[in-house]
Amino acid sequence: MRELLTYLVNGLAVGCGFALIASGLVAVHRVTGVVNFAQGMFAVVAGLSASWLLGAGLPHGVSEVAAVLIATATGLLTGLLAIGKRGTTPQSSLIITLGVGVLAYAVEIFVWGDQPRSFPGLPGSLTLAGVGIQWQHLLVVATTVVTFLLLTAFFGRTYLGKAFSACASNPYAARVIGIDVTKMGLLAFALGGLLGGVAGVLVTPLRPVSFDTDVTLIVNGFAAAVFGALTRPGLALVGALLLGVAESLAAGYGYAAYQTELALGLMLIIMVVQSARRATVLEEAV
Amino acid sequence: MTGGARMKRPLPGLAVGAVTLALPAVLDDSALSVYIFLGLAAMVTVGVSLLMGYAGQVSLGQGAFYAVGGYTAGILAVHGGPPVLGLLAAPVVAAVFAAVIGVPLLRLRGHHLAFATLATQLILLSLAGQLEFTGGDIGLQGIPRFGIGPFELGDAASYAYLTWAGVAVVMLVTRNVIDSRPGRALRALATSETAAASSGVPVGRYKLVVFALSAAFAGLAGGIYAFYVGYVAPGSFPVLLSIEYIVMAVVGGLGTVWGAVVGAAAITLLVQALNVVGTAPGMPSYAPSVLSYAVYALVLIVVVLFLPHGLLPAVTGRRAARRPRDAGAGR
Amino acid sequence: MIEITDLVVTYGSATALDHVRLSVRRGEMVALLGPNGAGKSTLADTLSGIVSPRSGTVEVGGRLAHIPEGRQLFPDLTVEDNLSLGGWRSRERDPSFVFGLLPRLAELRRRRAGVLSGGEQQMVAFGRALMSRPDVLVVDELSLGLAPMVTRDLAAHLVALNRDQGLTVLLIEQNARLAFGVCERAYVLEAGRVVAEGPCAELAGSPRVASAYLGGSIEETQA
Repeated sequence: MRELLTYLVNGLAVGCGFALIASGLVAVHRVTGVVNFAQGMFAVVAGLSASWLLGAGLPHGVSEVAAVLIATATGLLTGLLAIGKRGTTPQSSLIITLGVGVLAYAVEIFVWGDQPRSFPGLPGSLTLAGVGIQWQHLLVVATTVVTFLLLTAFFGRTYLGKAFSACASNPYAARVIGIDVTKMGLLAFALGGLLGGVAGVLVTPLRPVSFDTDVTLIVNGFAAAVFGALTRPGLALVGALLLGVAESLAAGYGYAAYQTELALGLMLIIMVVQSARRATVLEEAV
Repeated sequence: MTGGARMKRPLPGLAVGAVTLALPAVLDDSALSVYIFLGLAAMVTVGVSLLMGYAGQVSLGQGAFYAVGGYTAGILAVHGGPPVLGLLAAPVVAAVFAAVIGVPLLRLRGHHLAFATLATQLILLSLAGQLEFTGGDIGLQGIPRFGIGPFELGDAASYAYLTWAGVAVVMLVTRNVIDSRPGRALRALATSETAAASSGVPVGRYKLVVFALSAAFAGLAGGIYAFYVGYVAPGSFPVLLSIEYIVMAVVGGLGTVWGAVVGAAAITLLVQALNVVGTAPGMPSYAPSVLSYAVYALVLIVVVLFLPHGLLPAVTGRRAARRPRDAGAGR
Repeated sequence: MIEITDLVVTYGSATALDHVRLSVRRGEMVALLGPNGAGKSTLADTLSGIVSPRSGTVEVGGRLAHIPEGRQLFPDLTVEDNLSLGGWRSRERDPSFVFGLLPRLAELRRRRAGVLSGGEQQMVAFGRALMSRPDVLVVDELSLGLAPMVTRDLAAHLVALNRDQGLTVLLIEQNARLAFGVCERAYVLEAGRVVAEGPCAELAGSPRVASAYLGGSIEETQA
């Protein structure tokens, strides 16, 4: 029982990391229709930056915030390449973000080397019902909850957030009323960078990152985002938590080796079921 | 398309063929290995180009089919099967595997399919790393050399001939597919799936056939790879490999048979040159990987943004690949 | 208010607008007629800056709002959000003056735009355009797919805004009877070229226009 609780908390924390990645994917996809393959890279950049800044003697807090800002700027740059040129189709944009991800490998290895890096998170743990829970885990969960609340409020309540939704809902109409859809897309990429950055600084103390960790992150994040059909952050959060807990339980009970199969198999099944349902709806509509 | 253009001008094709045949005789062993890997990459890339340019599908997991081919040939050969059987089985098993996973996966569109194929590769690599009959993380060692009956391919030159014979087969098959009636329907498929479907083209079946065909090409390349290198392991088929094939296909120009070969050649030689630069004395240890990642990425980005029809059409002025590509990217 | 000279717009190798010349004076209501594919919507898109001309000039002497063909609302957002986003250019966030003008919209304010009827959606599109406090309004296919009564109601609002507030209107229509009923002048666009222009009364009298646009079309029998 005690083990189960530990695995659950572990899984929730890891799932929160996936959720933040997924929310970045959703933000970019909602506004631009592009799936940003470089989303996992933002987390890697932030994780590596934070560990580097801490190593250079900057205090906690400052380092993490600076790392998130670096990730935000990276997101904006990615956006400029992916959608900055007029007439770039979503498929071309996906391939460009793929290229940006590989380009980041070069930069990351050049700046930070190819070995995994980590840094200490919140020290100590809290004992609850006989189970030790690391403060860092709680920090991850709390930050994710706050981030999702802010995100929901942003999309649902603010004028800019509604303009974001408008671009997603009907890009042509958005242009008719004078919204610069490309500029909105770039902002969305920056937001994606920010969310990825938050994921990176939170998760790196739990799981060290290296330049090629982005594949695991993006695949799990995409799996979670797919759960919310790439447009609904709330469902993506649910998907990410399920994924995190399932992986953690699998690892805890001796199936660590099959984590990948489990997560990806789940994602494939969800995607196929979703597409089958969409096809039925289409047929019925005809 | 390129096929028609080539028939009208047979000379360049013949010249290329002659040079291809002559090269193994003059290259030394290290150059030969580059030449072989170039051919293997070309085989896979022709399939990727066909898939992207004609069926409008992005596969981020083409390395998976390469791996299936490699493991199929390797497992059969290690257990004493005749190498010819292994080499024939490699494309067949890869194609069957693609056909089986293609049934559910090809219902997915655009980026969903891209991630699904990537996921397939990751699952496959992870499984290969754990299962006993694939040799786990260490992989399959000691795959015997390729041979037919008593005749065994010993030197690199003979593998080069084998490889380029494979390339020729792949190109011929692709040419025939493109020029066939279904091929023309496929072009419509890349342009607009709905339009193709409403004009009576069996969209799903054609997509599946192209998917399986591209997998067969990759499988064949994987099979030759296994015999040439002598071992296969999960580490032989990284995700980056699949991205490489996309770079090559995009650089060459999607939906062009020759473009795929040119793209594979350009990228392979470029990376080789960078490797020479990166490992030169005085260069830091990270130089080779940094250089190759950076160049892959920049080439991919620049080509997608500024030469959307690829290098070959841009150089020769042919716009043959234009239609499939413009629309294939439409989603 | 609108001054278009020698406008050429192309999509790839196809020419959508071919040396079009059109002008609308301040306070005028002008109709633009033409069959499907004549380039009417391209002209509207060019006026609102979504499509760039290949050559020629487009001058607009004030703020322009565009009610696009097919309403083009944000279906996932509420009526109120649709309206307030209409004020993106004017920075007008509060839709109450639109509610004053179109009270029905106040009742629908919390509903998602996607679930409304065609007439209600057209009303939202109309209100959304007004939110930008326009000097000139380009209305693309006001009557398309709407019941005649709804069309008449919306047309009456247009006429009132034109008369009371001096709103300049370019009404793009296939329904010539409606257009001739509310506009002073009209242009006829066919295959990207202006083939006829003049006062509505005169155009209605021309046998060619009458047979092409006042013949027994579907909209017309409904009206």
